[in-house]
Amino acid sequence: MNKDTLAIEKKKKNYKNNKFKFGRIIYYFFVVLLLFLILFPFVWLVISSFKFEKDIISWPPKLFAENYTLDNYIKVFNQIPMWSYIKNTVIFAGGVTIISVFLDSLAGYALSRMEFRGKNILYYGVLLTMMIPFQVYMIPLFLEISGMGLIDTYTGLILPRTTSAFGIFMMRSFFINLPKDLEEAARIDGLNEFQIFYKIMLPLIKPAMLSLGMFTLMNSWNDLLYPLMLTTTSDMRTLPAGLALFTGQHISFYGPVMAGAVVAMLPLLVLYVFLQKYFVQGTATAGLKG
Amino acid sequence: MKNKVNSLGKFWNKPNHAAYLFMLPSILILLIFIVLPLVGTFALSFTDVNLFFTNTKFVGLENFLRFFQDERAINALINTLQFTLLETPAQIILGITTAFLLKRNTRFNRLTRSVYYMPVVISFTVAGIIWAMILDPNIGAVPYFLFKLGLPIPQFFRDPNMAMPLVAALTVWKNFGVSLTISLTAIQSIPDSLYEAAEIDGATKAQEFFHITIPQIIPTIGFLAITNLIGSMQVFDQIYITTSGGPQYATESAVMYIYSRGFSSPYELGYASALSAVLFVIIAIITTITTIITFRQEKKMS
Repeated sequence: MNKDTLAIEKKKKNYKNNKFKFGRIIYYFFVVLLLFLILFPFVWLVISSFKFEKDIISWPPKLFAENYTLDNYIKVFNQIPMWSYIKNTVIFAGGVTIISVFLDSLAGYALSRMEFRGKNILYYGVLLTMMIPFQVYMIPLFLEISGMGLIDTYTGLILPRTTSAFGIFMMRSFFINLPKDLEEAARIDGLNEFQIFYKIMLPLIKPAMLSLGMFTLMNSWNDLLYPLMLTTTSDMRTLPAGLALFTGQHISFYGPVMAGAVVAMLPLLVLYVFLQKYFVQGTATAGLKG
Repeated sequence: MKNKVNSLGKFWNKPNHAAYLFMLPSILILLIFIVLPLVGTFALSFTDVNLFFTNTKFVGLENFLRFFQDERAINALINTLQFTLLETPAQIILGITTAFLLKRNTRFNRLTRSVYYMPVVISFTVAGIIWAMILDPNIGAVPYFLFKLGLPIPQFFRDPNMAMPLVAALTVWKNFGVSLTISLTAIQSIPDSLYEAAEIDGATKAQEFFHITIPQIIPTIGFLAITNLIGSMQVFDQIYITTSGGPQYATESAVMYIYSRGFSSPYELGYASALSAVLFVIIAIITTITTIITFRQEKKMS
């Protein structure tokens, strides 16, 4: 009888192992297939951006060519004001990121560690603005910015984005977890409220600031509709907007368009390689409520 | 004088007063650049204002009545709904499935997850350029692959029946890393003991997925559904870059139509605002319904 149970056990184990192996195969097949689907387009884009136009439009299409060239890069910088696009994107995305991380931290700090009248109303008010999609109020926003004479200016591009409800909530959720009696000790040492925030608290949440920073940088750097709407001259376009308009006119000439795309995505991808943790964390905290 | 400055400083240095100073910049910006324009949308929707302010009449409900007669507007709304119904479930399912498969923090899984997140880091402009080329019927890699298999080569983004599903697929490709990341946090916080108990009972991976993982992350699924629905209803970038609404308006979304009504001739900002207001109401209704459903599911599970 003992033998029988052992045999059954063994059979069960075998069955389980086989099933396990089958599951493994499906798992690897699926995961690797997806890896290919993600990576292949990137590889194709980068390699093609160095090809001669005749190799780009050859049929059958080939991943590798015999000769490579920098022609497409030279062309795209000559045909459209790429340097202006790069400069504008850096100023817009950089400006928005630096200012909004600071202002969001200020507000998040107040909402998490200070008691004051009307706190709950402000808290829910900020929460509500998170629910309002930009596309719904973009026309009056455009009128506002143009009424202020700020169309085609960096101020006009940056100012409306210098705070975000999401950022305030993210910073709030990090401040709330710092030890309770930090402020009291600092107050006894004679620091004023702003010094407490700036000298004691901010250094403690540097990782959170970096996460929000990368999240904001990524969104601003890649934004299309917003900068498209608030700029009218070619010299004030950001990379996504400028490239989108260029693509609209020249979709038949893939070479320069692809070179432009590589230039547009490279800075963020390089940052992503080094600061991956912070990029992902911004997204991950978006999923934690309140 | 110095005394006055001192006492003023003291007043604002109390935490319950300083808090207002800390909040002030953010509150001002949110009020001026979100709340005020939102009110503006509703106010403008009752006027015939254009970009040059040559018209500024109050027209009552005329814009809204016009919306119901406007075939292009109705078509844009239907397209937007079609996109949303294709994109949202696909992105959530792919995100949760990959998060479940890659939930253990092995070196391979971590590397795979960071590759899956890569498209999130690039813009829709770049993603659109890449896929427009790979799907170009004359020179693309995918058409060639189909050709090799002996299949007919479709027109992809230029085919009115295929364009919208392709735009949705492109969006899933670019953004499922977001759903993956958000559901991963939730899935990893499920206690191991639940899976161990199931394994002793001889549960398969699929059973674990449907009977342990899914029920445990209902709030996260709800969150993903709401944010994805809101996002999808505002779809613009990926359409602008791949099809610009064509062929024959087959992919024109609500926001695209609003944009072209307001920012191209005849620049009817009043009517475009009315369309925005309609879109806002629809998004609000969808959000509310999804929230209620999530809430009920959560109750049922607990």
